[in-house]
Amino acid sequence: MINSAVLSGVGLRKSYGSLEVLKGVSFAVDQGEFACLVGKSGCGKTTLLSLLSGLEKPTEGKVSLGGKEITEASEDELALYRRENVGFIFQSFNLIPTLSAWENVALPLFPMKIAQEQQRQRAMEMLEKMELNHRTEHLPSALSGGEKQRVAIARALVNRPKIIFADEPTGNLDSATGEAIMSILHRLNDEDGVAILMVTHEPDLAKQADRLIRMKDGEIAS
Amino acid sequence: MNLRYMFKELYYQRRRAMIAAFGLSIGIALLIILNALSIAYREAAQIPLKEIGADITVQRAGDVPEELTGAVFPCSAVTLRNEEVKKIGNLPGLKGMGKALLLWVFDADRAWIVLGIEGENSIGPAVLKYSIADGRFLENGKAEALVEVAYARQFGIKLGDTIAISSHEFPVVGLVDASRATKIAVANVYLPLKEAESLAVASKQLQSVSPYAPDDVNLLFIKADQDKISSIASSMKTILGDKAAVATPDSFLKLLGSLFALSDKFTMVASIIAIIVAILIAFKTMAGNIAERAKEIGVLKAVGWTNRNVVFQLMGESVVQCFLAGVLGLFAAIVVSYGLSFMSVSIPIPWEMSPTPHFLPGGGDQIFKTLRLPVTVPWSLAIFAILLSVIIGGMTGGLLGRHIARIKPSEVLRHD
Repeated sequence: MINSAVLSGVGLRKSYGSLEVLKGVSFAVDQGEFACLVGKSGCGKTTLLSLLSGLEKPTEGKVSLGGKEITEASEDELALYRRENVGFIFQSFNLIPTLSAWENVALPLFPMKIAQEQQRQRAMEMLEKMELNHRTEHLPSALSGGEKQRVAIARALVNRPKIIFADEPTGNLDSATGEAIMSILHRLNDEDGVAILMVTHEPDLAKQADRLIRMKDGEIAS
Repeated sequence: MNLRYMFKELYYQRRRAMIAAFGLSIGIALLIILNALSIAYREAAQIPLKEIGADITVQRAGDVPEELTGAVFPCSAVTLRNEEVKKIGNLPGLKGMGKALLLWVFDADRAWIVLGIEGENSIGPAVLKYSIADGRFLENGKAEALVEVAYARQFGIKLGDTIAISSHEFPVVGLVDASRATKIAVANVYLPLKEAESLAVASKQLQSVSPYAPDDVNLLFIKADQDKISSIASSMKTILGDKAAVATPDSFLKLLGSLFALSDKFTMVASIIAIIVAILIAFKTMAGNIAERAKEIGVLKAVGWTNRNVVFQLMGESVVQCFLAGVLGLFAAIVVSYGLSFMSVSIPIPWEMSPTPHFLPGGGDQIFKTLRLPVTVPWSLAIFAILLSVIIGGMTGGLLGRHIARIKPSEVLRHD
C-alpha cells in the first residue's frame, strides 16, 4: 500500500448471489490525486466506488479510508467516516427538493452538534466558492442543471473531505456546463488538495485526470 | 433531528402530509365523539338524582292496603325502620342523608299525595325551596303546608287558605312549582316531616299494612362518594332485604337504553376499532410517503447520517403530522359534539318512584325526565386524544423509520 494513499482497497471482491461483480481489485488514491475510473457499463465501476466510499461492504478484501480500515466497521461507524472524510457528487445531483440551496449544502452538517448559524455560514462559504451566492435561498426546482451540480459539489465539500467520489458528475449536463463543472473539480483538486475519484464514460473528461484506471469485467485492465 | 428540515418537508409536502393526517384525524374524532357521548349519557343519568341533591334513593316495596281510606303508604314505599336508617347512615362512603315520608291520604272529599320533608336538609326534597312560585318555604317547627301549583289551581287552593288532611289543618304558606325542579319525590302537598309522621302514626289502615313508629320514614336520599355508590347500594339491599328499591345513576343509565349507556365495553370496543382503523390508514399512507423518499434517505445516509439520525428525523415528522391530525380530530369532535348537544333524551322514571297512585287518572303513565344531552369534550379526553395522536406518531414514525433506514444507499443511488 502506498503510504500517502488517502484511500486504498486491497483484494476487493463483490458478489451478488452467484454474480461476481468485482474480482479481487486492488486500488489506491493518493492525497490530492485526481483519478478517473472508466469502463463500459456493468464493468463494476460504480460497485468499486461504493466499496471504496463505504456505501457497501466487500464480500472479500479490505478498504482503508484516511488510514483507517473500514471494512469491519458498523453501518453507523461507516456513516460517521463518510461524514468526516468523504464527499459525494452524483450524476442526477440528488438534492433534497424541499430544502433551499444553502440547506442542501448544509445537509451533512445537520446531524452534527453545530449551531444552525454556523452551519449556514459554512454552507454560504461553499456556495460562494461555487459562485452561487445569489441562489442560496432557491429551491433545487428553481436552479439550472449546472447550478444544481454546483450546489451538490458545495455539499460534497462542506465537511472538508479528504476525498470526493464523483459518479458521472457531468452525465446530466450539456457539454459547456460539464466543462465548467470539470474546471471546478480541477480547481478544488489543485487549490484545496482534495483527492477526487471520478467515474465517467466520457473519454475527453477522463483524459483530464492525473491517472486513468480502466476497468473490464470486474477487474482493473490498466 | 433537524427542525428546519422537518418543517420544510411538511410544508412543501403538505398535501401528502395532510392526506396521512386526515385518516388519523377521523379516528381521533370518532374516539372523542364516542367517549363524549358515553360521558354525556352518564351525566344525563345522574341528573334525576342530582336534582334532589342525592346520588342514591332508597325505598322498600310492601303490601297493598285492603282499604284505601285515610293515610296509607304507596305499595312501593313502605316503612324503613329507624334502626335500619341508622345502619345505612353508618355505611362507609356515605356523605349525607335526607329523609322523607310519602303518604297517600284518601279523605272523604279528596285524595292527597303528601310528602313530609326535612326543611333544612340540602339532600332530598327540601331543594324545592328553590322552586317556590308564590309565598314562602316551610319554616322550622310550624305546622304548615306547601301546595303544588297545578294541584292548587285544579282545586282552587290559594295562598293563605287552610287545608285539612285527615282532619289535621295546615295553613298554605307557599305554592311550589315542582315541574321546574324534579321528577322524583314530588307530591300535591308538602308538610314538615314531623307533621307527616303524625298522620302516619295516627292511621290504623297504614299501621295494619306496614307498622310505623315515629322517626321511621319511607324514602331515603343518600349523598355518597362517587366510587362507593355501587357498594353502598349493595349494602343497603342487604340491610333492607329483597324488596328494597335502590335507584342509582347506573340504574337510570340502564333505563336510558342507549348503546352508549348500556355498556362501557361498547364504547371501549368502538373506540379501539376506530383508532386501529385510523392507525392502519395513517400507517399505510405514511409508509407510502416514506417509501417514495427512499432515494432521499439514501442521500442522507451517503452524506453521513446514521440510521439513528434518519429514524429520529422521520419520527419527528410523523409526530408533528399526527399531532396536527389529533388537533384536527379534536376540532372536528368539538364541532360534532356541539351539534349533538342539541339532542334531547328522555330518562324514564321507574314506576315505583312515581308518587301518583296508578289507579288515579294519569297515575299509570310513564313519567320521563327530558333534557338536552350534555355532550361536551372534557379537557381530560381532549388531552388524552392529543397524547394518543403523538404516541401513534412516534410509534408509526419509529417503525417506518427503522424499516427505511435499513436501505443501502448504494442500492437506491446505483441507477444514477
